Amino acid sequence: MADASAEFERRTGGEEWIPYWDAGRRRELRFQRCTACGQWRFPPQPMCASCHSLDHEWALSSGKARLLSWVVVYPPVLPAWKERTPYVVVLVESDEGCRTMGNLLGATADDLRMDMPMRVDFASSIDGDLVPQWRPA
Amino acid sequence: MPVREVPGRCVVEALGLAPSPPIAKNPRVSLRNRAAIVGIGQLPFSKNIGKPEHVSALEASVQALEDSGLRATDIDGMVKWSIQTTGENVIARSLGVPNLRFFGEVGYGGGGGCGTVAHAAAAIAAGMARCVLIYRSRNRGSGGRPWAGTSRERDQSQAEGNETAFFSPYGFVRPVDQVAMFARRFLYERGYTTTHLGWIAVACRKHARTNPMAMMREPMTLEDHANSRLISDPLRLFDNCLETDGAAAVIVCAADLARDLKQKPAYILGASQGMGPRNFTMNNYFKDPLLESPGAHAAKALWEMAGVSPRDVDVAQLYDAFTPLVLGSLEEYGFCKPGEAGAFVENGGLEVDGGRLPCNTSGGSLSEAYVHGINMIIEATRQIRGTSCNQVRGAKLSLCTSGNMVPTGAILLRGD
Repeated sequence: MADASAEFERRTGGEEWIPYWDAGRRRELRFQRCTACGQWRFPPQPMCASCHSLDHEWALSSGKARLLSWVVVYPPVLPAWKERTPYVVVLVESDEGCRTMGNLLGATADDLRMDMPMRVDFASSIDGDLVPQWRPA
Repeated sequence: MPVREVPGRCVVEALGLAPSPPIAKNPRVSLRNRAAIVGIGQLPFSKNIGKPEHVSALEASVQALEDSGLRATDIDGMVKWSIQTTGENVIARSLGVPNLRFFGEVGYGGGGGCGTVAHAAAAIAAGMARCVLIYRSRNRGSGGRPWAGTSRERDQSQAEGNETAFFSPYGFVRPVDQVAMFARRFLYERGYTTTHLGWIAVACRKHARTNPMAMMREPMTLEDHANSRLISDPLRLFDNCLETDGAAAVIVCAADLARDLKQKPAYILGASQGMGPRNFTMNNYFKDPLLESPGAHAAKALWEMAGVSPRDVDVAQLYDAFTPLVLGSLEEYGFCKPGEAGAFVENGGLEVDGGRLPCNTSGGSLSEAYVHGINMIIEATRQIRGTSCNQVRGAKLSLCTSGNMVPTGAILLRGD
């Protein structure tokens, strides 16, 4: 069971997501951008819905965002996360118009207000990977 | 007969077939009133049903056949949830179904329920089947949890990376978290409160109390809801559906056949599906408007097909895997305007006795059982038959919706 949980926590969307997590390890927040028409997109997908080009890059985000929502997670959770409860997960929209999630750094849920400015930071996930996270700007 | 020159035409002549008519451009072609739900079956819901899913699916299917008066040899189509681990051939072999000329499935877990009925009715209207069996069996009370990676269930969202686990490195994998993320923004923008969520939980529980099949029958007050423990703030334990072992089946057949069977038919006046733009399973935050659910699209198609309006509906089963979904459905299916769903559910607004719209009259996913909504399709049918534990007197139009955090569907049933 423990192995199944560990395996599960590493499943994060498959190959298309690898550049996102790789960028995080370098303390960079990157989203997909179509190299044909310049449209930003996230979560990643193979084709640009605006121009149907398959060509894309992983472009550097400004790291600035607006808070759209958040939750505070209480048990029951997967065993690996139990020690961290209660913990906050936020949903943000970046200046580029990409929405993404992360844990909350440098604040508690009580400090959060809808639409407040946020900025990216980096901290380890439960499996030790450095991943993009968010703190009030 | 020699076949030469324009091949298609010659083959048609060689086989003695009439030439095809020109391709019809008739926008009025519809499954409206072409099929009916004529059989229902369900085993008692429990935390541990004590038998494998394919066995319980068979037992529920036999119940549905007996209920309808049809025989297994009448079944010529089946539709299932994609997430169902038991294949149609497994069911057909044991029931002794000689042939299936139509079989299909609908994805997205709890979003798929009404879609299975829609597909059955569409197949019947198109002449691809006459009698279609729909089944759902699920050992979710005693078995593993998909979000914990401990279940054999797989949906197509996992074919190209698991959409529900995109954000798992942040400890964001449970369905309740995914709904809570939507709910906080939804409550904020609409001016709803967690007490409104409580009214929904309380209405479902009140209905479950008179339903001997319901898993949760103890009384529940608004205070009980407010005092239940936080699971994913702003959602509490009593905002969550149940963990259920269950099995149920529904039979849909052609309308002309339905009236000669054992039960009062629940005619399918409308059936629809909807996905909306840029959909992601459960983590559906990447489209605009952010708070619009796939239900808005299923609703539009449903009312257009049925030719009636929400005002005409007597009773509704609004998918309630989590309480906030009901507020969204009340808005999107047109029972109230955005921002008015809170006042709608207050003071027993969803209850059978004196409510604005009796909802989830068997207790729903919150208090009867969570089996991806097949129990709600069955309850919508009972309301047309007049056999519900919480019967809406004289109910003629009965709505059922599916999960709206994922691609969804809806059906509208009518009596004679």
